[in-house]
Amino acid sequence: MAIKLVGAQVYDPVHQIDGKQMDIGIDQEQICNADTLAPDCESIDISDCIVMAGAIDLHTHIGGGKVNIARTMMIEDHQAHSHHGDHQCRSGSGHAVPSTFTAGYRYAEMGYTAGFEPAVLPVNARQAHLEMADTPMIDKGGYVLLGNDDFLLQMMRDGASQSAINDYVAWVLNASQCIGIKVVNAGGVHAFKFNQRRLDLDEVSTASGVTPRQIVNVLSRAVYELGVTHPLHVHASNLGVPGNFETTIATMGAAEGVPIHLTHIQFHSYGTEGDMKFSSAACEIAEAINKNKNVTADVGQIMFGQTVTTSGDTMMQYYGHEHGNPKKWTVMDIECEMGCGVVPFRYRDKSFVNALQWSIGLEIFLQVNDPWRVFLTTDHPNGAPFTSYPHLIKLLMNRSFRNDHFSNLSPEAQRMSNLPSMDREYSLYEIAIMTRAAPAKILGLADQGHLAAGATANITVYRKQDDIEQMFARPAYVFKNGKMIVKDGQIIETVKGVTHVVKPDYDKSIEKSLRTYFDKFQTISLDNFKISNDEMEECIGSQVVEHPCKKP
Amino acid sequence: MQFKHVTCPQCGLLCDDLDVSVNDQDVTLNSNSNSVCQQFFIDAKLTDKSALQPQIQGKPCTLDEAVAYAAKLYTEAKQSVISGLIADVQACRSAFALAEKTRGVIDHANGQGMRASTAIMQRYGEVRTTLSETRNRADCIVLFGAEVLSKFPRLRERILKPAETLSGSTARKIIIIDVVANAELAADKEIEFFHLPLPNLETAIQQLQYLASPRASEKAEIEPAIRQIHQDILASNYSVLAWTASLFAKITAEQTLQNLTFFIKETMKIKRCVGLPLGSSRGEITANQVSTWQTGFPLPVAFSTGTPEHNPTIYNADTMLANSEVDLLVWLSTYSPDDTPQQYAKTNIMIAHPNMQCSQTADVFIPVGVPGIDQRGLACRTDAVATLPLHSIRENDLPSADHVLNLIFQAL
Repeated sequence: MAIKLVGAQVYDPVHQIDGKQMDIGIDQEQICNADTLAPDCESIDISDCIVMAGAIDLHTHIGGGKVNIARTMMIEDHQAHSHHGDHQCRSGSGHAVPSTFTAGYRYAEMGYTAGFEPAVLPVNARQAHLEMADTPMIDKGGYVLLGNDDFLLQMMRDGASQSAINDYVAWVLNASQCIGIKVVNAGGVHAFKFNQRRLDLDEVSTASGVTPRQIVNVLSRAVYELGVTHPLHVHASNLGVPGNFETTIATMGAAEGVPIHLTHIQFHSYGTEGDMKFSSAACEIAEAINKNKNVTADVGQIMFGQTVTTSGDTMMQYYGHEHGNPKKWTVMDIECEMGCGVVPFRYRDKSFVNALQWSIGLEIFLQVNDPWRVFLTTDHPNGAPFTSYPHLIKLLMNRSFRNDHFSNLSPEAQRMSNLPSMDREYSLYEIAIMTRAAPAKILGLADQGHLAAGATANITVYRKQDDIEQMFARPAYVFKNGKMIVKDGQIIETVKGVTHVVKPDYDKSIEKSLRTYFDKFQTISLDNFKISNDEMEECIGSQVVEHPCKKP
Repeated sequence: MQFKHVTCPQCGLLCDDLDVSVNDQDVTLNSNSNSVCQQFFIDAKLTDKSALQPQIQGKPCTLDEAVAYAAKLYTEAKQSVISGLIADVQACRSAFALAEKTRGVIDHANGQGMRASTAIMQRYGEVRTTLSETRNRADCIVLFGAEVLSKFPRLRERILKPAETLSGSTARKIIIIDVVANAELAADKEIEFFHLPLPNLETAIQQLQYLASPRASEKAEIEPAIRQIHQDILASNYSVLAWTASLFAKITAEQTLQNLTFFIKETMKIKRCVGLPLGSSRGEITANQVSTWQTGFPLPVAFSTGTPEHNPTIYNADTMLANSEVDLLVWLSTYSPDDTPQQYAKTNIMIAHPNMQCSQTADVFIPVGVPGIDQRGLACRTDAVATLPLHSIRENDLPSADHVLNLIFQAL
């Protein structure tokens, strides 16, 4: 099927195209040179539209056990937001933490064509992939969690070489069918199992005998040396703690120059100034990102309203559970690998802390100079549901809109923020970078995030509107692998999407010690732990697309 | 043919370290002599080839005929329910698609047994652990009811008393509380067995909860053994409270689980203390997980209005069948021939284990392959964390439940 999109105003930062009027060709699943299409092929006049590649969410909790726990606990949210199915779509429910089908539809309706689950526990990887396979419309991928697992901590305590650690990291990536590695509160989740309630970056855990810094260091190096494109994805220590910005900046240093991605950095950018001993350290964090070229970050912007926080960080979820709303919380220790914590939150603009959190996120966006190194996320659903992205884009692109909202915040919070003085307004080109080009680049998805001939035809067409929020909320057309799946904000065809993975090479002899470990201590056998491509397709229901690793 | 690392869905532990030999349609478990564990494999033996054929009202037919007739029954039904749901992930997925398309109700055979646990998670949230975490980390494990051991035959060997642990020590307190005598456990050197002079386990749990409660007045009449157990928990570094909700009276199960949750959360303020609910011996967790991610709701779910609704009072499958509120029952049960419906509707479609014999002749009976024997599949373990592969180790012509459900879906 060939389609010519005629007269579009194109934003393709990978090729430095900034609003140029041009035609885009689609041939089967790929973008092609529009001039090569037959004159009588279907053509759509989109001269009143702007065009970007399909958007990519770098960090969104859409699958796995913790998400199902959150769905169970958010019963009121699901009852209030259920929807019918039709001849195309399945029914579903949920706003803050939607059911799988619902999540896929809502993403596609906003022009997203891929989303990446950032907290896949190795032992829970099958379930995460099952849930993602039941999330239609978008491509998926996962970051597998290490850094609190007894196997790695034991290796480090025993003085294992970096190359042996690399082999283990590569083995886990292969076994779990993931595209990246994430560490959550390095060593802290493990220490919490031994009743340690806090763990600083340079504190030796009494439980494991290693420091979080050492863990971040060996894992960031492992990811780099294996040639995995996505840097180590780091949820730093001390999430939510006033004064944690120092830990965050120190964590950047723990990578010792190799690439490192700090996630939901808003939650890690707090100072201790002021009467309330809680302040914005966005300036210091942005400065550190600007200075350290090996560092990228996604923001984890909060929005006001009801949501639920789901995290692998049991230690800090327990620390914060008293602030939950409604008052219910779950904490779970998991398989000598990790943990999870689920706490509902209602962020309020009249709350000093919440209002300042909102400001801090925006301050970071506006003070990081390079849009290729800061990513638009709400850490769905932790800061807000992903459906708030169009509103967030408007906050970034429209200073007066932003300042109007700011003026409604808690007065105490207003006094503690210099947000109104920031006159930066993101351009469409910059939005295209942070939601398309940069995520594709940092994930190693060479055929996505741009609109050149040969790219996968994931394309979003927005009808120009004065209200940028409305424009981003309801694209005129969305194409996924060349198929028109959304028209005027409505789904017209459903597709499945694929699973993006990396499979770095490694020395297979690592399996010898792993087999001993599994036989002695685990309750699942090593052979059943590994997920094959065949199982992904036949049982889990998602086709695997492997991306190359490029060793430095 | 010999197979290693076979997974057994006979109980919620989903042990996957089994050696199994297959000789034509005979399947033999070699690696474990426990009779409960053996049962899944004994049940799967196919002696009667006619059992492989679908039936319409007791008469053999082709699969196409059975599917067409099932579709006809669906179109004639006013209100359908899919129950059983004793199946792997893939079959559960297809069952939900069918329930949605037919605006039916969907529930598990043990739906009522799951309600209390779901309600506590919805209302309060929980503090939980998993099997490997317990095996390696626990220094004090408290089991409520000796029957937990017989319901989970390899719990002791694999979780309570493993040969080695990550901590390097296998020394730990294993406490079992019960209100009936058990001479074997009383004589067991590895277990501290407390036979309490209390009317039921629920009272013991209530007393334990009193001890963690700040309301001192409630602590008056507490069994000395409960006080001792409380001290043991406080003296340990990682205590695990394990229970099986089916041992609690249904009418008060929610209160009992609430007491356990409150106790654990209160103790967590100073020490690590966690819960380990043991269940899913009929695939409850698998069915509930699929329900939760696909619809956003735990079981039961009704699609009567087109949107998924979760109301365990109105849409309880057993009650609906008892009150004749449904006129079509689709019973999905693939692991054991004994998991038959307790109640029937006016018309009944069985998608079932090939050796199943029901007390009532089904309008349509479609025998399907057993997941883990005849079909590949996936199943969720009792701790709702590990999802394990079920392997195909035997060849025959039995279709998968998933395939059959899809055929009916397509015929509608």
